[in-house]
Amino acid sequence: MSVKLKALLKSPWVFHLSTGSCNNCDIEVLDCLTPRFDIERFGMLLAGSIKHADVLLVTGSCNRKSVARLKRLYEQVPKPCLVVAIGECSLSRGMFIHSYNCPVPLDKIIPVDVYIPGCPPKPEAIIAGVVKLIERVQEKAAAKK
Amino acid sequence: MDRDLVLKEIRQKLKDDILDVFDKSAKRVYIGIKPESIRKAAQCLFKDMGARFNIASGVDVRDRMEILYHFTFEDINLLVSLRVTLPKDKLEIESLAPLFEGANWIEREMNELLGITFKGHPDMRRLLLPEEWPQGVYPLRCDYKEWDKDAVRDRGV
Repeated sequence: MSVKLKALLKSPWVFHLSTGSCNNCDIEVLDCLTPRFDIERFGMLLAGSIKHADVLLVTGSCNRKSVARLKRLYEQVPKPCLVVAIGECSLSRGMFIHSYNCPVPLDKIIPVDVYIPGCPPKPEAIIAGVVKLIERVQEKAAAKK
Repeated sequence: MDRDLVLKEIRQKLKDDILDVFDKSAKRVYIGIKPESIRKAAQCLFKDMGARFNIASGVDVRDRMEILYHFTFEDINLLVSLRVTLPKDKLEIESLAPLFEGANWIEREMNELLGITFKGHPDMRRLLLPEEWPQGVYPLRCDYKEWDKDAVRDRGV
């Protein structure tokens, strides 16, 4: 495993981006960070700046105005990075699929590594999703070697 | 000041401009107003009677367009909605933004989403829609059609 990838998986710093969600997924993401669910057990830490982040958590249905911001943020993440789509809206735009303001789903804009469904997903589901993703990447890297 | 006095005063002051009064409930009254006298009516409620301007809402009712201006009398817990009906071929009304600043943004929003022209608005720019949105397409109208050829409208499963 490359040093970069090892460092990324040992303690993935997450950056939380809402692309026009109803805020419920954001509350669940916030719950993950509280002592009850304590995502820091896995070395995950909420980064204040995208330039410090390894994992991009995206919630919301990607409306026309936030798509440009999303692309700009994705360009700024240090690579390799992982993208996690949280909630039904960022998976398939949920009930906003026919909205004039949500033309394309998230995975048509940037590559997504893991999808966590739910409206909103429980904090347990978010943690499980991210842990699964880390294990998967570790396995893949080991297989390559 | 109580509810009946307020309604009586409105009826008295705007008697030539009122089309109909619909007394929905103890807290809610709808008053139909002629489009040309909306500024006078708003002036009367806001300046003379001390009502608070909550918000305005535009509704597309297929054969016509409606704007509801919601005013509250907070001390007596009454919401008065001035209802203005505009024909589809002439979507124009006087702006209320010079009267109170609170009408500024909602009129900009109604302008871009429904295509209603507000005469005398001080700053009619886009508020919500992105720059690439084509001119003359109004998303909240009933006859809105998808214009974006790149839009994906299936869930992919």
